[in-house]
Amino acid sequence: MARGVRPAAGTRRVASAVSSWYKALAMAVSIHFENVSKRFGETRAVDAVSLRIEPGELFFLLGPSGCGKTTLLRCLAGFYTPDEGAIRIGERDVTRLAPHVRDTGMVFQSYALWPHLTVQQNVAFGLEMRKLGREEIDRRVGQALELVRMADRARHKPNQLSGGQQQRVALARALVIRPQCLLLDEPLSNLDAKLRLEMRGEIRRICKESGLTALYVTHDQKEALSIADRLAVMESGQLRQLGTPREVYLRPASRFVATFIGETNCLEGRVTGRAAGRMQIQTSVGQLESAASPLPSLPDGAPVVVSIRPEVIQFSAPPAGSLNVLHGLVHDSMYLGEVAQHQIQLAVPHDPVAVHWIAIDLNPRIMARDRVEPARIWVAPEDVVVLSP
Amino acid sequence: MMRRSTAWIIFLVCTTVLGVLFIWPLSRVLGGGFFENGHFTLRYLVGVFENPIYAEGLRNSVLLGLGTTGLAVLIGLPLAWIASRYDFPGKSLLAGLLLVPMILPPFVGAIGFQQILGQYGVLNAALGLGPVDWLGDGRYVGVVVLQALSLYPILYLNASAALANVDPAMEEAAANLGASGFRTFRRITLPLIMPGLFAGGTIIFIWSFTELGTPLIMNYGRCAPVQVYDALKEIGTDPFPYALVFVMLVCSVGLYAGSKLIFGRQAYAMQSKAAVVSAARRVTGMRALPVMLPFLVVIAIALLPHIAVVFTSLAQPGSWYRSVLPQAFTTANYAEALGHAMTVGSIRNSLLFSSCAVLVNLVLGIAIAFVVVRSTLRFRGVLDALAMIPLAVPGLVMAFGYLALSSLFSNTPWVKANPAWLYVLDVRVNPTLFLVIAYAVRRLPYMVRAAVAGLQQTSVTLEESAANLGASPLTVVRRITLPLITANLIAGTLLAFAFSMLEVSDSLMLAQRMDYYPITKTIYELFQLIGTGKYVASALGVWAMAFLAVTILGSSLLLGKKLGALFRV
Repeated sequence: MARGVRPAAGTRRVASAVSSWYKALAMAVSIHFENVSKRFGETRAVDAVSLRIEPGELFFLLGPSGCGKTTLLRCLAGFYTPDEGAIRIGERDVTRLAPHVRDTGMVFQSYALWPHLTVQQNVAFGLEMRKLGREEIDRRVGQALELVRMADRARHKPNQLSGGQQQRVALARALVIRPQCLLLDEPLSNLDAKLRLEMRGEIRRICKESGLTALYVTHDQKEALSIADRLAVMESGQLRQLGTPREVYLRPASRFVATFIGETNCLEGRVTGRAAGRMQIQTSVGQLESAASPLPSLPDGAPVVVSIRPEVIQFSAPPAGSLNVLHGLVHDSMYLGEVAQHQIQLAVPHDPVAVHWIAIDLNPRIMARDRVEPARIWVAPEDVVVLSP
Repeated sequence: MMRRSTAWIIFLVCTTVLGVLFIWPLSRVLGGGFFENGHFTLRYLVGVFENPIYAEGLRNSVLLGLGTTGLAVLIGLPLAWIASRYDFPGKSLLAGLLLVPMILPPFVGAIGFQQILGQYGVLNAALGLGPVDWLGDGRYVGVVVLQALSLYPILYLNASAALANVDPAMEEAAANLGASGFRTFRRITLPLIMPGLFAGGTIIFIWSFTELGTPLIMNYGRCAPVQVYDALKEIGTDPFPYALVFVMLVCSVGLYAGSKLIFGRQAYAMQSKAAVVSAARRVTGMRALPVMLPFLVVIAIALLPHIAVVFTSLAQPGSWYRSVLPQAFTTANYAEALGHAMTVGSIRNSLLFSSCAVLVNLVLGIAIAFVVVRSTLRFRGVLDALAMIPLAVPGLVMAFGYLALSSLFSNTPWVKANPAWLYVLDVRVNPTLFLVIAYAVRRLPYMVRAAVAGLQQTSVTLEESAANLGASPLTVVRRITLPLITANLIAGTLLAFAFSMLEVSDSLMLAQRMDYYPITKTIYELFQLIGTGKYVASALGVWAMAFLAVTILGSSLLLGKKLGALFRV
């Protein structure tokens, strides 16, 4: 990568370029999936998915590989035809339309830049298909390359560009046709970590400034959490949870979502009581109180799973009257600079099975290296999330 | 990895061998047209272009090459495209049948072709027409069609391989941006597969540009290869054929080098593996019919000459005349073919020559492949190129070079003093040595490609672990490497053997005594006999066809889809 995305001044220049460029554009459109299913042989790649993406929204489909997220995106682009259900872009039913008349702009995982054409020719292709005049094409290609800061590479062939540059050309090629919606299929997965960080900010800015409705597919939760307006977590072809990044991270709806998005410590237990919006759960490490139960109607004795994120575990002195105070031994610590990651073995009063938790300690005070450190930890009831097992 | 000293020794030995067996005869051809009494002259080269007969011959040959290549593209490319896009019942069978025309040298097919399209042939009989000559006045169209019908599989294989290498996302991106199917093909797919198409097209052009057998049998005399063949009797005295051969060589190597230069550098390596495995769409039932139809039509037409050869071989001599089918059938032709002194000897000769050539190939091919794949010598690319150039050198040119060498040897005072050596060195006495060399050198590229492919697929760590356990380098090769690449070696051997059995140019030019005729020359000589000749020649042709069908089928089973890799430049 020769030239990264650098100063704020450049960013502002880009932002204004986008907004002026899209000014003439009609209103952003919504995207509807209605009960969409797609089978490959016996496998249900997408299973009765219904979803509405709001106009101008940057929406993420997130899930492990094979969960059906790319299949759903390709149904929207028209490369697959759903076996059941309907897909609408705005008011237009596109379920059975050929890909080349759908007017979606897609950024492929492999970028799919044509190696026999220059950057300029790659970006101009879609406009040529729309039979625009030469001057108009040149003008808009110039703007689009300016937008992704690749104007000085217009005459290069794709194989002369670095991964990040190719990625930006692919983005320009998809945006230049002023599509109804932008589709991104793991667009950053072929970039190195630092570049990925820069590009995801860039992508969000371009999407927001252009006002485009965008569907972004990834398995990288950091990407989704950092720039999505809303996201959907998929598993086995079905939507597991839908919400803003904060909602999904803080209030996961299932054990799968909790463990897939971020790290978490899970522990089985039973409901023992309820008072003032709080729930008591008996676990092997003792009684825990939760103020974060998405399952308010559970009867006493019902089996549940408790999810506690590593970063909510506190090593400071607990406030007076705290309930969720636990004792244990820090077995190992990994020093990561701004944080330390501790392996804690909790004291288990009546159970032979040991419980190990991971805790993230900001500005760490204790370090267990080659020796065991005793620790007293506590968790706020707001951070104890109760899930169905 | 090989030890450096070992690599150098093998490199030097192989380069020397190729230098003597390939470059030396080639340089005799190059020199022959330029030296007169020891002085350099361009008189003959200029003369080739000034002599209206030679100029016409060259022009016609170029047209033959262009026409054949163009027609082969028209046949092979759409079929390859359909095969890459659709899955349909019986696809692998049809795709296999598509390759069958390769098993018969086009010049044998020419016999059947004339039987169908000749003035008194099947077509006129079936249509109830008079003696219309469908082959046309100049016979140009006939030669082109016949050659294209037997060479299109090379293009089909190349195009299929190239299409399989195109990342489906390339085409999806075009569709996503609004390109219809046809425009996507023209603007994206076609440019991307151009290197593959050009590779196949180059081989077909060189092949048909220098093909001797088909024009001879079709009686198309006004092309350069036939003119060179006819000038054979002037060998050693007249420099004009040398100059003519030089021009053909320059055309072929120029085209080969040009295609390497244009496409070699920018072979569009796809930047990443495709996210979606296959774009092939499955069609069944009635909807598969329009997809299958082109295959059926091409196979039927391409096999017609072969079927006609089979019928000719079974026809009572003289009984297939102005009729759709022969009036009377007989197996006497086979009896006569196998009883004829010339044929029995020729089968034995061909087997002997081809076996010896394949042995030479096997040793050279393995050695070269080892240096190319398993050493780090800076010049190993030179050896690789040297072994591949025979693809671009017409058989006719090589034959001429060997003739020149032979006449050089047999005229040295030493050989004159020891006339026993004439049995080895003079093709007019015994062509075995030079025929074996010619077969071996011309088929070497197939063997090298097969061995290189095998070595590249075999991880070095397998050899390293054997060495780590105490095996010496030779033991590693014998016990580990060679067993692992056996399938490739067998496939390469079969192909080299089959093509040696089929060889036309060298066989016609170098075998000058009946005792040493190989099959192809015998078929040609039989064909020229008045009366039963055509029928006995067909019987021998059917025998060769069956034999080659078995060998090619065997190699394609062993190599699977990688068969196409052997035909790439």
